[in-house]
Amino acid sequence: MLTPLMLLKSSFTPIFLVQTPKSKAQKLHHAFTKTFLTNSTPPVRHNASLNFATPPPASSAYIHLPFCRKRCHYCDFPIVALGSASTQTHHDPRVSNYIDWLCREITATKVDQPASTTPLQTVYFGGGTPSLVPPSMVSSVLESLRVKFGLCKDAEISMEMDPGTFGAEKMREMIALGVNRVSLGVQAFQEELLRACGRAHGVQEVHEAISVVKSCGVENWSIDLIASLPHQSCEMWEESLRLTIQSQPSHVSVYDLQIEQGTKFGRLYSPGEFPMPSETQSAEFYKMASRMLTDANYNHYEISSYCKSGYECKHNFIYWKNEPFYAFGLGSASFVGGLRYSRPRKVNDYINFVQNLEKGIVDSSGDGNINGKDTAMDVVMLSLRTAQGLDLKSFQESFGSSVVLSLLEAYKPYVESGLVVCLDEHRRTIIDDLDYSFWDKTNTEKRVAYIRLSDPEGFLLSNELIALAFGVIDSWKVSPQYQEAKST
Amino acid sequence: MGYLSKASKTLRQSNYLALLCNFNFNFNPLTNRITRERFPVRHELFCSQSRQYSTTTREKSTIDLSQYPPELVRNFSIIAHVDHGKSTLADRLLELTGTIKKGHGQPQYLDKLQVERERGITVKAQTATMFYKHSVNGDDFSDGKESPSFLLNLIDTPGHVDFSYEVSRSLAACQGVLLVVDAAQGVQAQTVANFYLAFESNLTIVPVINKIDQPTADPDRVKAQLKSMFDLDPNDALLTSAKTGEGLEQILPAVIERIPAPPGRRESPLRMLLLDSYYDEYKGVICHVAVVDGVLSKGDKISSAGTGQSYEALDVGIMHPELTPTGILLTGQVGYVVSGMRTTKEARVGDTIYHTRTSVEPLPGFKPAKHMVFSGLYPADGSDFEALNHAIERLTCNDASVSITKETSTALGLGFRCGFLGLLHMDVFHQRLEQEYGAHVISTVPTVPYTFEFSDGSKLEVQNPATLPSNPKQKVTACWEPTVIATIIIPSEYVGPVITLVSERRGQQLEYSFIDSQRVFMKYRLPLREIVVDFYNELKSITSGYASFDYEDSDYQQADLVKLDILLNGQPVDAMATIVHNTKAYRVGRELTEKLKTVIDRQMFEITIQAAIGSKIIARETISAMRKNVLAKCYGGDVTRKRKLLEKQKEGKKRMKRVGSVDIPQEAFHQLLKVS
Repeated sequence: MLTPLMLLKSSFTPIFLVQTPKSKAQKLHHAFTKTFLTNSTPPVRHNASLNFATPPPASSAYIHLPFCRKRCHYCDFPIVALGSASTQTHHDPRVSNYIDWLCREITATKVDQPASTTPLQTVYFGGGTPSLVPPSMVSSVLESLRVKFGLCKDAEISMEMDPGTFGAEKMREMIALGVNRVSLGVQAFQEELLRACGRAHGVQEVHEAISVVKSCGVENWSIDLIASLPHQSCEMWEESLRLTIQSQPSHVSVYDLQIEQGTKFGRLYSPGEFPMPSETQSAEFYKMASRMLTDANYNHYEISSYCKSGYECKHNFIYWKNEPFYAFGLGSASFVGGLRYSRPRKVNDYINFVQNLEKGIVDSSGDGNINGKDTAMDVVMLSLRTAQGLDLKSFQESFGSSVVLSLLEAYKPYVESGLVVCLDEHRRTIIDDLDYSFWDKTNTEKRVAYIRLSDPEGFLLSNELIALAFGVIDSWKVSPQYQEAKST
Repeated sequence: MGYLSKASKTLRQSNYLALLCNFNFNFNPLTNRITRERFPVRHELFCSQSRQYSTTTREKSTIDLSQYPPELVRNFSIIAHVDHGKSTLADRLLELTGTIKKGHGQPQYLDKLQVERERGITVKAQTATMFYKHSVNGDDFSDGKESPSFLLNLIDTPGHVDFSYEVSRSLAACQGVLLVVDAAQGVQAQTVANFYLAFESNLTIVPVINKIDQPTADPDRVKAQLKSMFDLDPNDALLTSAKTGEGLEQILPAVIERIPAPPGRRESPLRMLLLDSYYDEYKGVICHVAVVDGVLSKGDKISSAGTGQSYEALDVGIMHPELTPTGILLTGQVGYVVSGMRTTKEARVGDTIYHTRTSVEPLPGFKPAKHMVFSGLYPADGSDFEALNHAIERLTCNDASVSITKETSTALGLGFRCGFLGLLHMDVFHQRLEQEYGAHVISTVPTVPYTFEFSDGSKLEVQNPATLPSNPKQKVTACWEPTVIATIIIPSEYVGPVITLVSERRGQQLEYSFIDSQRVFMKYRLPLREIVVDFYNELKSITSGYASFDYEDSDYQQADLVKLDILLNGQPVDAMATIVHNTKAYRVGRELTEKLKTVIDRQMFEITIQAAIGSKIIARETISAMRKNVLAKCYGGDVTRKRKLLEKQKEGKKRMKRVGSVDIPQEAFHQLLKVS
């Protein structure tokens, strides 16, 4: 009985898709798609890239394993629900066929900058519930990656795992394959909340899973929690945080529940209305997490991520640094050659996509053409999610000083009110200098080198603050040198 | 019948094709502009074909106006309270005389504007010439063989007092009016106002009691009202139903027999009264004129007494009902002249036009337009200023009664201060801007022109409250506000609540009498400011819609006025400043701040909303800072979904108006209009 983590994990995962049980009509439709839909569901193309000079070749891969036992009530992702009894998936053809297509996709993918291909440094198995997939199949995926791109010896290989979907034996098998980071989808430590979310496991399984991970010697592991669940009280949230800290994971992710249309929660609840926590209460939850985890020696290194020193998720950092990464599988989104490419969200369309990829009709990587504004927005949006913040020096190098100045100008009131923090080169907070002499080369002491959102107030209003930065970038007149640069 | 006719007007709005076609006669700047840019010639052809088709097929030969000496001409108008059936009656008369074909014409034929049709009101005066055979002494008017043909000019006028400017223009060309009164509703406020306009112009008044087919019709009661209110002989009243056609046959004979022929002299030098003008894309300015003395022929050189400019009469004709060239207009006749004027500004309504190189005594001009209501108009999106400018310029080509000056607001950017004749006029102008020109505007709370006197003897006329200093260096010694004389007619059971309402609005009773056993007639002096925004709606709601209300401008009166500023985080929002009576400042201040609190979104900081008189804060509300907005969202690898969400948020911000760091949604400005 596994469940998808998805929604919550949204910070980490590309898009997923639904596969609904096949009806006759769909089978018919399938026949049609085979014939006609070779170019159907044109994937979304978005240009972007971080550095205009030479972006590093992609050395990260996201692998989407969409299978779940059942759908959680908050999940709006397209997933493949296998049915509640499916803990043994070795013989499920839906799983093995999918893995076949996935491996074919990996093999057919055009290598980013073949001349300088680097072996993969991070691999991330997201889902769905990747821990539902038999280790033998995970092995074949890793093997395909190894053959195609190479895999560093010390690569970070993460896997999302749900309580109740694995025991010590499976855990050890995964470790043997190279999985060295586990992201455990705990979500809550209260039976009633887990039930209300439609999770396929209870508190007992949570404790079992934690002890399996620890006893198997996984050092780098994360507990994932959801805040602002319906009927969640302050006491419950505090208990979840306390039990999480007691379990001593090296990493904690805290996701804020979003009510999405089309989900069971979407039909039942409205944000901010009982039994959902109010905006104030929900902000309180966020602050409580920040306070308790920071007190327990976790670094709040990204809006929803905390870790012990040195245990940042390397893979996710690739996203936040706007660096390229491959992605494989249903609905996953890659960023190669300056192109953001989302794969089809339906299994049939995905299969067509893989076939076309093999025929060379489609290409999921870009040609390095990038748009200055788009990239600037991506960089701002992604970096401001992190505690490191926006590196003004490199931002200025890429986009010029006028946009940096306008941005600082727009943020000025929020620096004053404490939502935005200015840091110098040594990451010391600049308190008194509000004239932003970041370009003043003579006075490195006072030069603003980074801006970041404060923890927790600035993080809580990140959407608002980032949208403000978007407004600045939007009205920025891109000078020709930054407009259409070739990344290679 | 009242509601039926209203319903039918509403239904017919959807007849857009007919509407467009119809617009061609007058103007449809939007379609004309678009089409013209692409197919200049074709459109011209299309236009004139459609315009003249009906008339040319109906009457092959050109109309010989010389057969119509003044004694065979009658110029009359129809005046009525709104919805008493004026436009339907006009339609029937046009059909009866074959001027338009029954069932073929656009209903409310003379109401050309979309806004007129939608609201069932007439805004622009229109004229139509009809021919009707009638034997003055004979009983049998249907036997036309021996009967002379009469030329009848029906000059349609707006019913609403805001447009009394238009009414007075039209009436100046008439010798008589049909005073139409609904047989069930009886005399209403606008009936009174319009009656007096006609009465003061010495016009013959033919009372018509219309809608007699209604089950609640009570013509005898209406006759009694006409007698008691206006001293009209009950036996003179014609009973009609424009809907069923009953009694219609009496109307035109009554017009011919009771209304005198126009008085001018044919041998005298030409004198024409300029009644109205509008701009046509192709012909240029088209002037409606009434020939008072003499004869106008095509090709004549004519001059304007007002501007001294000379023109050539390029085209001369009558509205029958579309422009029909006749080459000549004779004494007493009403028609149009195309003279090569470039803008309607050259065509001053009320001007006298005469033959160049003759000397004539100018005719008495009309009452000039007096702007009583002012409001700022700003493009909803700041970048649309040029588009709004263009739209306003074109609309004022056909509505010269609006005054326009550019102004700047810190909150709203570049815009216009517009002066209107009254509230309906302002409303109609807004609606026409949006409907005919597709302009999206933010309009500031309407204000009236005040006069402030300062201790150093200086005076300031204030059309925009923002221009009055909040903390003037000189002491204000006196403030003057315009007043109106309001006529209110209500069923007697509503007297109590209406008197309460009017006193709240600082009204002063001038007259109180019974029209009949059930209806009360009241006259009040009211500050114009008090009726500018929501008075009429209030009045209607407390009287279940039975009150009728009208007003005319009156003198300025001294009043204890203060400027009320609205401040957001300490910064005054110029576009929200108002001038209010001191006794009401606290209430209005409270209402405004409360309203703003509901429409301004929470932002990343606390927002204080204050109402202040000078430096004194009289009301205050606080919007607490936003604590948190959506945090995690499908993200990480899939950056695009988050991007879209944030871009949407950014677009929302862009549409806001900003004062200091506070974003104000456009909705806030619309909402303020609802607070008096």
